[in-house]
Amino acid sequence: MTGTVFRLEFRRNRSLTFWLTVVVLVYGAFIAAFYPFIRDNAKLMNDYMAAFPKPLLAAFGLEGSLSDHGTFFQTYIASMLWPIVAAIAGAILGTRMVAADLDRGFIELPLATRVDRVRYLAAGIAGQVLVLGVLSVAAVGGVLVVGAVVRAGFDPGRFLIEVPILFLFACALAGLTTLLSVITLSRATSAGVVVGGLLAMYLLDAVSKLQVDLDWLGTLSAFRYLRSTSAIDQGILPVGELALFGVVALATWGLAIWVFRTRDLVA
Amino acid sequence: MTSAISVNHLTRRYGARRGVVDLTFDVAEGEAFGFLGPNGAGKTTTIRVLLGFLRPSDGGATIFGRDCWHDAAMAHRDVAFVGSEPSYLGEFPAAEQLDVLAQLRGLERGAWRRLAERLELDPTVPIKKLSRGNRVKVGVIQAFMGNERLLVMDEPTSGLDPVMQREFLVLVAEARAAGRTVFLSSHNLPEVERSCDRVGIVRDGRLVDLTSVQALLASHWRSVNLLLGSVPAPETFALPNVRVLAVSGQMVHLMVQGEVNEILRRIARLDVRDVSIATPDIEDVFLGFYEGPAPETTPGAAAQSGALR
Repeated sequence: MTGTVFRLEFRRNRSLTFWLTVVVLVYGAFIAAFYPFIRDNAKLMNDYMAAFPKPLLAAFGLEGSLSDHGTFFQTYIASMLWPIVAAIAGAILGTRMVAADLDRGFIELPLATRVDRVRYLAAGIAGQVLVLGVLSVAAVGGVLVVGAVVRAGFDPGRFLIEVPILFLFACALAGLTTLLSVITLSRATSAGVVVGGLLAMYLLDAVSKLQVDLDWLGTLSAFRYLRSTSAIDQGILPVGELALFGVVALATWGLAIWVFRTRDLVA
Repeated sequence: MTSAISVNHLTRRYGARRGVVDLTFDVAEGEAFGFLGPNGAGKTTTIRVLLGFLRPSDGGATIFGRDCWHDAAMAHRDVAFVGSEPSYLGEFPAAEQLDVLAQLRGLERGAWRRLAERLELDPTVPIKKLSRGNRVKVGVIQAFMGNERLLVMDEPTSGLDPVMQREFLVLVAEARAAGRTVFLSSHNLPEVERSCDRVGIVRDGRLVDLTSVQALLASHWRSVNLLLGSVPAPETFALPNVRVLAVSGQMVHLMVQGEVNEILRRIARLDVRDVSIATPDIEDVFLGFYEGPAPETTPGAAAQSGALR
């Protein structure tokens, strides 16, 4: 039963996965192809960047030289591309199986069979995990492959540490969206709250860097924990950040299943 | 014997709004039960409770003895369901979705194929490219492709052409012949009249009648028009269940309720040149329940007065 639901979800996810993977790969490839230019002109760029206030640059993820691999990845992927892709994937995947399918009436068909609600939603969450895993690998893989072609000198081992960070960040978003979708049964509300919340956290992170005495605000933002520099530049596995995103993802998915098991289904 | 469906003082409210109020009825195994009522009467709410989509506010329901809310997945092992407007995934062909639903019901892939041929459905076309009638066919195929003991159908034929509606009735008859139980919610009254043994009629969330189709029809008035060879004596039709509406020379118009043997005997003694007896169709009967104010008696009482539990 669960396998059948998972296969259906896999089939439904194919198009979204394909196109988001294409976007992530093309963007990553383009940015990586651009890297040698940044590296070869590092002094010029650093002099140019020095003209801007440091907190302003930090607010937009630029902490250090763009020629540093970690800063490069943080600026173009972790702080820019990935939150957008993760939000899109999370909003679509997290809301589809319950809120959207209830709204369109499809959910009554599988739930009138012998598959129980827990297994049904768990299979859908497994589908989310698969899609987000593919996208996380693509986000790093595109940069690494093209980086190797243009002799960027990226360290694959250190870059691959980014995969679980990106993955768990996206899982946390998807988990939260799934939970809200089960609670509100509204695709628009749950996706809106998560995307709006993500924007608010981005602003919190930016403000905390612009205004030193408001640094504590940054601790409330997920972006504070989505950091690539220590992993890529120093090879440090960010265990705390991984645990934080992992716990949020597991807790929200678990809570979503628990709520879904016991709630009325009325559009 | 365990009832296929047992609804016991079921109440379901949506906040301050009523859904259904104190419904009580049983559907015996092998029976075809029609659940009648206009839009908003509470039919779909009842079905959603039966399928475990909604938790009862009060009372409860069971399917073959299994609680519809607490033991929904187990109860569904014996249920095939199709809703009034089954919303399949538009981008996928019917074949793929019927295969998925078949597997979720423990059936073989392709269990639907024979019925698709019979109902002339092309299963390779994506659902969104099918006409409304063909989408409804997918629902009918889905309902009948298995051999679950209970078929729960919520207005399954709205959108089907007359030929397919007839085919639907044949499918219901075949299901009944195989011993399956049918719970058919509908406002297609002739369909219920032809396919069901008993009906429950809901109005404003309450059960206002629960009876056999035959009894329902029999307890209502028939219109009898006679053309006689001579003017009848005034007391000829004086019976408690007969109302003489008009006597115009040799033409007589009577209304007869229920038992007809005595009036037929009296008519047989007359010189009858022509006779017509109009039996009310179920629609007339049904509409009778919707004249006048909403019922104040509890439907549980209605069920018990019907002595059909």
